[in-house]
Amino acid sequence: MKVAVFVSEYRCNLNPLEYIPAEKLGFILVGNGVYHAVLKENYQDSPILQQKGDFYVLLEDLETRGCETDCINPKVKPVTYDDLVDLIFYEYEKLMWLQ
Amino acid sequence: MKTGDVKLAFIVTKLPYKSETSRLAITHALSYQTVEVLLEDNQTITPSLIFVDEGVLNCIKNHKSMEHYELTSVETHLKNALLVEMDIYVCKESIEKFGVLPERIVNAEDIGAEKSIKIVSKDEIKEIIKRADHLLYF
Amino acid sequence: MGYLTIGCFASLTGSMNYDFLLRLSKAAQRKGHRVSIWFSGNGSSSIKKGQKILKDYSHGEKHLRELISNGVEICVCESCAYARGIMKEDVIEGAKWSAMHWFLSKIYEADRVLLIGGE
Repeated sequence: MKVAVFVSEYRCNLNPLEYIPAEKLGFILVGNGVYHAVLKENYQDSPILQQKGDFYVLLEDLETRGCETDCINPKVKPVTYDDLVDLIFYEYEKLMWLQ
Repeated sequence: MKTGDVKLAFIVTKLPYKSETSRLAITHALSYQTVEVLLEDNQTITPSLIFVDEGVLNCIKNHKSMEHYELTSVETHLKNALLVEMDIYVCKESIEKFGVLPERIVNAEDIGAEKSIKIVSKDEIKEIIKRADHLLYF
Repeated sequence: MGYLTIGCFASLTGSMNYDFLLRLSKAAQRKGHRVSIWFSGNGSSSIKKGQKILKDYSHGEKHLRELISNGVEICVCESCAYARGIMKEDVIEGAKWSAMHWFLSKIYEADRVLLIGGE
């Protein structure tokens, strides 16, 4: 099962992820979730980036918040809305909006 | 045209009442009862309603929201879901974490339901989610 | 091409999750995919016509009309709308008005389903 998890908050409860039996997990950082891609709170990657999976950040939302693309964590791939559509249809089977 | 059964996992993680999230999960799942009017004969939908993490607190019985706030209780919706034989699961590890005893979980025997809420392990829930065609995360 | 069904429970203002929904839907539609959107919970009030465009607030109507004209199916939960004082005649032309089973029927057909929460 290939699951894309949309993360739109910076503080979020990750417990629900324990129930997702994904062989491939992708985290798509949108809205305030983009801060996971650029902040290193207490010099550490965010708890989201410490998960096992692939990471994507929505460029439009990153730029909206004044974040520079050169600050993106190397684990995270910047994507546009058009790229997101391709991820949804061609890389993942099930979608989940973490709230 | 697609035919056959589509399995949906309604996964509830939010507490009741502060927001309408858990209520909407149950009422949307319940609408499988009438969806046949919009589907063909060989098309069916089977929902599973799954309560995990803090979401399990929706399933504690004896809600009095009608008495205090004139609001249909989440418990009433759960009972109706049991009455129409929907599969409802509660995470065993989560109720243990919050100290909820199994006898405190909603049942609908008083309205004649034959089904009851199943208390299942996290691993069993993972299997149910794996079998689902789509995840609806509330 | 694929079929994406989205459930939107987020409100038009106060959360930019709604803006995400609009832009994702436009991108999917632009790339040739079929899209259906179900508005429920706090998302249901966003289908009301006559919205003023104020730069400090997210705007729904203009984008929804564009999506509808490009073939995106949009439907609002009638009970969620009634509860917020919105009647069928208040809804943007072309948007559908139905019960929750409409959403399930669109999920049935869909290749991908995304539920955008309201919290």
